[in-house]
Amino acid sequence: MMRSRLLASILLAAASMLGQGVPPPSGIGPPGRPQPPKSGEAAAPVDFTGYWVSVVSEDWRWRMVTPIRGDFASIPMNEEARRIGNAWDPDKDIAAGEQCKSYGAPAIMRVPGRLHISWADENTLKIETDAGKQTRLLHFTVKPPQSVERSWQGYSIANWERPVRGSGTPGFGLGATREGTHGKSLEVTTTELRAGYLRKNGPPYSENTVLKEYYDLHKERNGDTWFTVTTIVTDPKYLNEPFVTSTDFKKIPDGAGWDPSACSAK
Amino acid sequence: MFAALLAVPAFAQVDFTGEWAPLYHEDGPERLPGPELGDYTELPINAAARMAADTYDADRISVVPEYQCRPHGADYSMRGLGNLRIWQEIDQNSQKLIAFHTHMLAWDSERTIWMDGRPHPPAYAPHTWQGFSTGVWDGNMLTITTTHLKVNYLRRNGVPRSDKAIFTEHWMRHGDYLTVVTVIEDPVYLTEPLVRSDNWSLDPGQNIGIFGCEYAPEVPRPEGTVPAHLPGNNPYLREFAGWYGLPYEATRGGAETMYPEYMKKIAGEYHPPAKCSRYCKCTSLFDCNLNSK
Amino acid sequence: MDNLLSRTRHQAVFVFFAAAVVCWAQPQINPDNVKLTMAHVQGSVYVLMGDGGNITVQVGKDGVAMVDTGFAPLAVKAMAEIRKLNTGPVVWIVNTHVHTDHTGGNAEIMKLGMTRESVGPPRLVAQSNVLNRMSGPQPNGAPPIPEAAWPNDEYFLPTKDFFFNSEAVIVYHVPNAHTDGDSLVFFRRSDVLSTGDIFTPEHYPIIDLARGGSVEGEIKGLNQIIDITVPAKYQEGGTMVIPGHGRLCDEADVVEYRNMVTIIRDRLVDMIHRGMTLEQVKAAKPTLDYDTQYGATSGIWTTDMFVEAAYKSLSTKTVSEK
Repeated sequence: MMRSRLLASILLAAASMLGQGVPPPSGIGPPGRPQPPKSGEAAAPVDFTGYWVSVVSEDWRWRMVTPIRGDFASIPMNEEARRIGNAWDPDKDIAAGEQCKSYGAPAIMRVPGRLHISWADENTLKIETDAGKQTRLLHFTVKPPQSVERSWQGYSIANWERPVRGSGTPGFGLGATREGTHGKSLEVTTTELRAGYLRKNGPPYSENTVLKEYYDLHKERNGDTWFTVTTIVTDPKYLNEPFVTSTDFKKIPDGAGWDPSACSAK
Repeated sequence: MFAALLAVPAFAQVDFTGEWAPLYHEDGPERLPGPELGDYTELPINAAARMAADTYDADRISVVPEYQCRPHGADYSMRGLGNLRIWQEIDQNSQKLIAFHTHMLAWDSERTIWMDGRPHPPAYAPHTWQGFSTGVWDGNMLTITTTHLKVNYLRRNGVPRSDKAIFTEHWMRHGDYLTVVTVIEDPVYLTEPLVRSDNWSLDPGQNIGIFGCEYAPEVPRPEGTVPAHLPGNNPYLREFAGWYGLPYEATRGGAETMYPEYMKKIAGEYHPPAKCSRYCKCTSLFDCNLNSK
Repeated sequence: MDNLLSRTRHQAVFVFFAAAVVCWAQPQINPDNVKLTMAHVQGSVYVLMGDGGNITVQVGKDGVAMVDTGFAPLAVKAMAEIRKLNTGPVVWIVNTHVHTDHTGGNAEIMKLGMTRESVGPPRLVAQSNVLNRMSGPQPNGAPPIPEAAWPNDEYFLPTKDFFFNSEAVIVYHVPNAHTDGDSLVFFRRSDVLSTGDIFTPEHYPIIDLARGGSVEGEIKGLNQIIDITVPAKYQEGGTMVIPGHGRLCDEADVVEYRNMVTIIRDRLVDMIHRGMTLEQVKAAKPTLDYDTQYGATSGIWTTDMFVEAAYKSLSTKTVSEK
């Protein structure tokens, strides 16, 4: 009798929580037909579309001008990478048609310029840059196609981040909620990259680089909307540890100032 | 038992607690050994801030005894000049989150970020180095507003930050990385908000030591001496531009210099040296020396 | 943020007190339109803030001690706020200097402060130059100040002290700073220092040349404040400072203000030695880096007026040094 009363209490509490709109952990919900997964666009908790301008408040002399040869301050690169970086030869890159080597996905967000973000389709978010005239496609999919040609922008898989819920059974704990699953970040993983430069003056990253990014939207007291992209470049071939930067973009009303320019190796 | 099951305590939405080590993968030379005199790049400063920095004499830190143990403000602290510990304060009865607390290595600075909805103090309340902070959740991002900050600096080469500033932060945790966006609005010295972002890495094995500071005058000087350059008399202001081949005007800062179109403006005026000779490495305290390559 | 005083209101308050200083006038104030706020500072000491100068209030078993009495029209309202803290007699009043935004309420408070326990009227302490200026002919044809408002316990030595509500209260004369009759008041156990208008963190210091003020004296006064104050950990807290106007402060805040005045003084001395006229000095904008924090382009005390007063003050000294 006591046991059945206890069970009834637990079920009543669960129903109460659901009635309060507390999101149940995945796998638990009202009975019925399973819902099809939402598209990337439909599931978007925030809106990154529009025009954005980079405001260079960090690493000014490594971004607004071509850094001095051999100046690799702040990059946790190994000696082999340093040797390659010191041998940087932009004329050779131009001759090889590789002017865009410092505009690859691991570096492009640090290049000052404007972005235009839009939905190419309901599961592909497109980022266009005027600097270097690059296009990144962020695919809301589970895994890349079988064969993808390596490119400066690689292949990017995107999802709306759900913060880690911890180990254990996927049920809610007794008497506790499990909030914090209402993530608003865009999480992007990029592979299939061509080898390139982390900065214009030649610090290298290899084609085995894994790029992880998190895009976070934030609104400020003066009404401005910004997003910050945290970029984590993991490249055991050339880096002693993941290279982590965060870059800030301010939303602008339209494409005024949009100034497409070709890649420049110098 | 039944009532306890029905009670739904609210936990913090994301756990920021732990020991965090700053990453110096951006602006390493400025944040570690320190900014060079005359470097006002990437700051949306006005003429007042520029003049204050131009006339600043770093001797002030030792000659003015009250500056010897002057801590960083809450805003400058978050540029990551030391290791950080974050912990929660939970009310035992309600199990509600009352506050986050931070402890920074530098000057053993501690800050309370109130999460219980309390208002900021009135305008006449004293100002402190860490100010008064309140936080609200925006999804899994924590937005913190800090007021009542004492006069401090935007950069350690004399660029000031006034006590009228309002400091906003956005904390975002992604796995074992903490990204902190800082927004400084200063009607006295900035023409627009200064927005920056820095990163920390979870470091559970970290053990923050004691900083400690006691002032000890070592330079005989008349009482009340305040070292400063007379306007127009600072001989060091053009060094930075010279070392890095930058046009002098670009080093003077200002909002215009932070937008992409400025690159075109200075395109023909940048004449870098043949190779790096200053702070060419610089990712931590141990490899960021003037001549490290 | 909703509680933060707007810059507009700050400016209005500043105009009132500057008017009292420069024009030797009691501004027209409707007490019904003025909010006075009593805040606990530390120990036995409180501060009453509103239009007019800050009024320091120390309370305890012995009664009430006050530093300054604010504007005359607000005296009744001020006393009502004090009575919420303590119903004992006002035994001590110290005037930090002669200006009416700090002394206007003297006569009224002397009356209102008396209770059945009073053994006599409050002791109204001030440096002797305050009494001299109050009891003499008033500038600009202003009416004489009634004797009921005059200090009855003036001092002329460098300090005066008394013991009240279980602590030593030390009054320091600061010669020729804001005026020639300035006093600092230190509540030793509470560890609170009232500075009068030697320290006004929101604005450039008013150097009242006509009443004996000087830039060098102002700087000496600020250094004296720094000598008295002792911060707690890492230059924060410890001795709390009640300025003549504006928010509660501590030593670090005074240091910033002292630095500002000293740096501007040094610039002006250099300019004077180079033979620059007042107009040339103003054109050179020697205060540009501080104007956005402390300056004003309109009103009763502008940046130009500060520069002019400082220039004249330093020129007189420089000439006399020669």
